[in-house]
Amino acid sequence: MRFIGLRLARGVLTLWFAVTVTFFLVRLLPGDPVLAVADPNMTEELHQKLLADFGLDQPLGVQYLDYLGQLLHGNLGMSFRQSIPVTTVLMERLPWTLILTITAMVVTIVLGIPLGVLAATRAKGWLDRVIQITGVTAQSLFVPSVGIFLMYVLGVWLGWFPIGGAVDLDATGIGATLSMIHHLVLPCLSLVLVQLGGYVLTMRTTLIDALGEDYVSLAKAKGVRPGKVVWKHALRNALLPTTTIAGLQLGTLVGGAVLTETIYAYPGIGRAIYEAVGQLDFPVLQGAFVLLAAAVVVANLITDVAYGILDPRVRT
Amino acid sequence: MRRATLLAALAALTLSGACAPSVPGSSSGTSGSQAPAASADRLTIGTTADVVNYNPLVGNSRTDSWVTDLMYPHLTQMDEAGKRIPYLATEWSYSEDGKTATATLRDDMKWTDGKPVTADDVAFTVNAVKKENFGVVAGLITALDKAEAVSPTEVRFHLTRPDGTFLDNVGFWLPVVPKHVFEKAPSVQKFANDSNWVSAGPFNLTKVERGQRYVMDRVADFGPGQPTIKQVVFRVFPDVNTEVLALRNGEIDLIGNVLPPATAAELKSDPKVKLQQIASLGWAHLQYNTKRKPMDDVRVRQALAHAVDYEAIRTIAMKGFAKSSNSSVLTPSQPAYMDPTSKEYTFDPELSKKLLAEAGVSNLTLGMIYDQADPNIARWAPMVRDSAKKAGITINLQGLERNTYVDKSLKSDFDIYAGSWAIMDNPPANLGLAFKSGGFINYGKVTDPKLDDLIDQSQRALSPAEAKAPIQQAARIIHDQVYDNVLYVETFNIAYSTGWTGFKPMPSELLSILNPLSLAAAKPAG
Repeated sequence: MRFIGLRLARGVLTLWFAVTVTFFLVRLLPGDPVLAVADPNMTEELHQKLLADFGLDQPLGVQYLDYLGQLLHGNLGMSFRQSIPVTTVLMERLPWTLILTITAMVVTIVLGIPLGVLAATRAKGWLDRVIQITGVTAQSLFVPSVGIFLMYVLGVWLGWFPIGGAVDLDATGIGATLSMIHHLVLPCLSLVLVQLGGYVLTMRTTLIDALGEDYVSLAKAKGVRPGKVVWKHALRNALLPTTTIAGLQLGTLVGGAVLTETIYAYPGIGRAIYEAVGQLDFPVLQGAFVLLAAAVVVANLITDVAYGILDPRVRT
Repeated sequence: MRRATLLAALAALTLSGACAPSVPGSSSGTSGSQAPAASADRLTIGTTADVVNYNPLVGNSRTDSWVTDLMYPHLTQMDEAGKRIPYLATEWSYSEDGKTATATLRDDMKWTDGKPVTADDVAFTVNAVKKENFGVVAGLITALDKAEAVSPTEVRFHLTRPDGTFLDNVGFWLPVVPKHVFEKAPSVQKFANDSNWVSAGPFNLTKVERGQRYVMDRVADFGPGQPTIKQVVFRVFPDVNTEVLALRNGEIDLIGNVLPPATAAELKSDPKVKLQQIASLGWAHLQYNTKRKPMDDVRVRQALAHAVDYEAIRTIAMKGFAKSSNSSVLTPSQPAYMDPTSKEYTFDPELSKKLLAEAGVSNLTLGMIYDQADPNIARWAPMVRDSAKKAGITINLQGLERNTYVDKSLKSDFDIYAGSWAIMDNPPANLGLAFKSGGFINYGKVTDPKLDDLIDQSQRALSPAEAKAPIQQAARIIHDQVYDNVLYVETFNIAYSTGWTGFKPMPSELLSILNPLSLAAAKPAG
């Protein structure tokens, strides 16, 4: 319990740090947020009035304390541009980002672990070499390049998948679900391709190490089937670094989702962030970052707890 | 070995299975050389931004305008020569003393809740903008005292001074909103108008999926004639390049945004795509900060003007999709005001050097700001730098993020400003904003009493014919003093599927073929 309490406290501290950095960072963006919402041909009186409406006429310290106070009440503020609560803006977008990132993560893990195992059990064979080269290449891929490539080849040339949006307008019932999956393929594939290499290579290396351990030799000497040795004995220990990677990769995945959603016009939080930067919509930017930071903190907390379950030695 | 191959195949299958089940019969690809047959059921338009504000009096983005213009009528529209043509108003005129303007309205326009569109709605809208002093229109109706409905079909505007730009400005820029809906809000400016829309245009907004699409259904009893298309859908994409892919893929029928010249040149040969050329009401230009030394000397500004290779910019950077304006702010898009005697500055580096020597300036080094996201300027800015080098002038390019660029422009924090005006629909009104002392978009900080006087004269004139002489004199001063260096007037390209026809093009990116009268007339080809 103390272990979870400590991790929780660390998570809250991380979140506060993220909130603070975000608050001051967005205010470093050049330009006047009022000009992004109103016609530049406005009177100075209206300009001042809008600044006051946005709370931007206050000293920075006061704005910061006001914002922290708002957050403690669960209030993310009002969007400058859309004049609606930030919570509404984000809640409209959150389901799409969750669908995209969770699907991408699950697919990556489901593929990454078996491919890593395959490479480790065929170490130095041709299949291992192919998987390694592919893994290293995949790690060096950049989301926008992959996105544009897939969009052009699978979307335009072959016409297999839509290149934008999240669901067809007329789709209902099961058709809507299929349409969602159809629209999810390219953004999901882009994220999977970029993430997969890390999992495969880590799994391969750690499993090769584990397979050299004494307990594995003992199991083999006892006549345990090779498959059982790998999947039941060695894999559990080899999974620890992969679990860590899964937690760390969530941050990268979220960053990748911002780019992917923008490229594929996918209506998630990443695209909302892209739009809010151009519009200097501080509250939406802050809200989105707080939400994403919270997601990463929670995911890391879960990873820590999972790690504790897999390896009781870390519970200190 | 066989197991390894099997596992690899299984992994590949899992990837495609988890990630890629196809929807039977819904593949949107169009691999043939012809566009798919269009159906009058739906026209899908690509745009690069969401609707931010549904209140048409406040919204200021392209998508805001495209969507709300289909819902809220304007008094007038514009023909291809930039002349005002009827929309909600059938006739309009000024009194002899110029202090009263009157517009007569059609009597067959209805709001979607069944109530008629009347002069009361027009008067309410104009008076609300005047009272609350907001939006684009507020800065254009400073001469208004009040508007009143004389009858259901006649609205009268009482002016504090003669202003021949008033009806043009109100007609073009003011969307008329339903009084019985908007008057309930404590503040018209703050009224979000984000649901249960009551409109009177050819289409009404019925469904919003933010980040994805805006669905608009046909209004059956639209006064000027029932639209052929049942539904217009605006779909949101990140940029024009993705919109082009979607158009080629058959996912959209029309790209709302103007194509960059290079993209337009590329699409010319696509059999599935048709390009509609649209005249721009603005122009691309360089402005020199007249309050900074040595640009406060007209000879230096002239030297800079003679150090630009205009033809190369139009031919190479703009791929020929640009016209010369003869260095005049009265462009070919405004034939009623254009000055045929204006001559373009020649590209003459030797003359530049001579002018600089006369001004006693040597080793001139200046910075030039521009919006780095503007694909056109990003192409020609290096050309301006390189041609200036031939005249011994060093120009340091400062491509900026848009918000910084706007901020620096408004504060006149630059040596040279490179940019473009989007819509200059009425020269007397627009030159007032851009070149009169203290004018809101007078980025070059021009102060010239004679110019101010001529612009005032042109604004008092009650017809283009009367305004022509003073505005042409004003344009000549701007040319001779190089208060503005007009590079070109862009020819916009709007791309749509060959499966469609019947659009009514109007000038500017704002109206183009997305204007309400055009979309009401559009139909499937063949």
